Amino acid sequence: MIMNKGGFKQVLASLLCILGGILVGFIVLLLLATFTDSISISEAIKGISIVLRGPFASGKNAMFQLGNMLFNATPLIFTGLSVAIAFKTGLFNIGAPGQYLMGAMAALLVSLSIPSTVLHPAIIWILALLAGAIMGAIWGCIPGFFKAVLNVNEVIVCIMTNWIAANVVSWVFNGSKFINYAETKINFIVKTETNNIATPTLGMDTLFSGGSVKSYIDISIFIAIAVAIFLYIVMNRTVFGYELKACGFNKNASKYAGMNERRNIILSMAIAGALAATGAALWCLNGHQDFKWDTYQTLPADGFNGIVAALLASNNPIGVIFSSIFLKYLNVGGSNLAANTSFNEYVSQLIIAMIVYFSGFASYITNIIANRKKKIIEEDRG
Amino acid sequence: MEDKHNESEYIIELRNITKVFPGIIANDHINIQLKRGEIHALLGENGAGKSTLMSVLFGLYQPEEGEILKNGEVVTINDPNDANDLGIGMVHQHFKLVDVFTVLENIILGVETTKHGFLSKKEAREKVMKLSENYGLNIDPDALVENITVGMQQRTEILKMLYRDNEILIFDEPTAVLTPQEITELMAIMKGLAAEGKSILFISHKLNEIMEVADRCSVLRKGKYIGTVNIKDTTKEELSNMMVGRDVKFAVDKDEAKPKETILKVTNLCVEDPIHKKDAVHNVSLEVRAGEIVCIAGIDGNGQTEFVQGVTGLSHVKSGTIELLIDGKMENITKKSIRYKNTHGISHIPEDRHKHGLVLDYSLEQNMVLQRYFEPEFQNNGFINFKSIRTYSEDLIDRFDVRSGQGPITQARSMSGGNQQKAIVAREIDRQHSLLIAVQPTRGLDVGAIEFIHKEIVNKRDDGAAVLLVSLELDEVMNLSDRILVMYEGEIVGELNPKETNVQELGLYMAGAKKQQEGVNDNE
Repeated sequence: MIMNKGGFKQVLASLLCILGGILVGFIVLLLLATFTDSISISEAIKGISIVLRGPFASGKNAMFQLGNMLFNATPLIFTGLSVAIAFKTGLFNIGAPGQYLMGAMAALLVSLSIPSTVLHPAIIWILALLAGAIMGAIWGCIPGFFKAVLNVNEVIVCIMTNWIAANVVSWVFNGSKFINYAETKINFIVKTETNNIATPTLGMDTLFSGGSVKSYIDISIFIAIAVAIFLYIVMNRTVFGYELKACGFNKNASKYAGMNERRNIILSMAIAGALAATGAALWCLNGHQDFKWDTYQTLPADGFNGIVAALLASNNPIGVIFSSIFLKYLNVGGSNLAANTSFNEYVSQLIIAMIVYFSGFASYITNIIANRKKKIIEEDRG
Repeated sequence: MEDKHNESEYIIELRNITKVFPGIIANDHINIQLKRGEIHALLGENGAGKSTLMSVLFGLYQPEEGEILKNGEVVTINDPNDANDLGIGMVHQHFKLVDVFTVLENIILGVETTKHGFLSKKEAREKVMKLSENYGLNIDPDALVENITVGMQQRTEILKMLYRDNEILIFDEPTAVLTPQEITELMAIMKGLAAEGKSILFISHKLNEIMEVADRCSVLRKGKYIGTVNIKDTTKEELSNMMVGRDVKFAVDKDEAKPKETILKVTNLCVEDPIHKKDAVHNVSLEVRAGEIVCIAGIDGNGQTEFVQGVTGLSHVKSGTIELLIDGKMENITKKSIRYKNTHGISHIPEDRHKHGLVLDYSLEQNMVLQRYFEPEFQNNGFINFKSIRTYSEDLIDRFDVRSGQGPITQARSMSGGNQQKAIVAREIDRQHSLLIAVQPTRGLDVGAIEFIHKEIVNKRDDGAAVLLVSLELDEVMNLSDRILVMYEGEIVGELNPKETNVQELGLYMAGAKKQQEGVNDNE
């Protein structure tokens, strides 16, 4: 059902984009090697192979890196879904970074404020996750509301709410008891494990470990996959999804058909916000993560990369799982490249950027595959 | 080269043109020969391949097979610029003008004369004015396009072609947007152009116009070339027979209307024009009763669109009330949601099928349940019942002869305009309703489909539905309606009985030259 004819074309298009990006990335490595005395050509070949092998290039650390990769992919899957769902409704949710921050803040406040002596940690964990999701939904509603009621472009409001979120989070945590003074990491919030709150790992952290060092992997990756499948079903099999997509494709026709397009816009942005925030909450609730609270100058990269993940997956929720993991795979490859060759980490970022750039051609390439040199008959009155 | 003109009798010849789209052969070995100085009509049903063929000639599509000859020599036309270089110009059905430019600026757009990099409009103006005089194309060169009438916009388009010295002029359904008076003018202009040696290809499915203006007529049916006839040797009946493949009745077969209870009652409705902040509809009151077809006639842009949008809920109503008979009681539905109106008796064939009628990126079957997807028949606990949607849409497609490449799963965008319209009509007529609002229900349809849809609308009337028809087509207004209300500048200026009036009188009301006050005809 996923792999219908159109779906196959989209997957093929995404793969071709990736291939093109890798090719260009390789050329960049070759050029750098040619023009840098200290780097030989063979280093470039070794470099691209390291990038492509991702965690598997690290030998005995492969399982460890794999575990961390899957853990880090989780928030990206969520922001990717957030952007994809909004896209399906015709909205460009560039506000995922802000929703992400607000979600992280709410989850941390709840999980660190309620002592685990008062409530069972599992209950606090659930409450914190819900708080994060709800906070994100509210934050997503803001651009949705402006768009639906006042017809203000959602991109503008999203960007503003991003920066508002960045400053609100800094303001809330500034001077608060949640700052990690103990480890003198004053730019970070204390880990939730200090309150005995950590997402269950089901022993996967031991499985995915390098020697004695456990990776961060926990069940959140399964939650992400389950949510993606759930959203796929909602968008393609339910009345609700039919309505949301109709609004995205043609607002006027949806209005004509009696759909409440304003409600759908707000709802879609709320869902998008909740998704991005859930990703952030799950990341924080892992227990072992340092959340950087003085965010007023920076926005979380995963928020923006959600756009890439969605684009690469042609907004297919199932595809987002793969595109997100793939992006994190490249990230691992990139850091391995910097660690094991003379290339620096900026080069690996560059290659990732290339692939991302090429993914912009996904729809164009889909058309080529569909052999549509001929224009669509928009209106054949003949 | 010197005796090029003697080489061929035909200025343009299309030979064996074949154009294939996924699932459909749009043009199947078509031959058209255009003589120098003739008006050659191209007649065909919706989806017969007329527009595709013209797009091939104009360089928008590349044919899989066949060749194009100009003056007996094979030419290749890769894009509209090539076509222009060969002297081929086209007036599209929907004009390609820049609204905020003047008429003159639009005419010279793309071929501007410049001096030292600066626009020099003086020569251009002289040339345009000369052309305008020669061909009787009355225009105001300094008026903004957004402020001029549709007729003048069309003359601007014609001047655009003449300004580029085009000698082969393609008119794509040029009369669809014009008033009767403007159509008469256009016919005269076309004859004038032909007399001056221009060769004209005239795409239409209006038989009266073809009979009046064309010299010869080529007929296409389902992508195939049927034949070419001399107009003076043929009849309307023969042409329609060639086009549809069977005899077609032109008059709508219907009995006397037997109006019963009032279904729709509109009182003093005012709808504001969102841009100009004045009343697009001003104090309109009317009633539509069960078992009658009431037609709002008028020239495009006189408030009909806004009126219908006000009634159906697409536009905000400024003042006035709308009442609908629901379960035997008149209910005020002015402030009710569109969903409420949809589910309580209003069916609406919208004016703009792309904007409102269809979700073009949805499949045909998804579009067939656009207002009904949530009904128990089509869902189980919030999950779409794909099977029943398929069965339902297959039934509609079958009954209304909606043609498409891949049946129910065809993307609506890829269907021909006429079949998109048929799909909407099918959906709206089949939906439970006591009031059918049909805005230009046969727009862009051929005679066969028009006959069918008119019959369906009359059937609905006879079944006791109230029908509110909005049409710009005078034939449709005269044939189909039981009562005609003429709208001019946002107000109802006259109520006419189609049996007692004629097209000329109707035209005068539509143009605002005649007006009734409180039922009294104050003119004459």
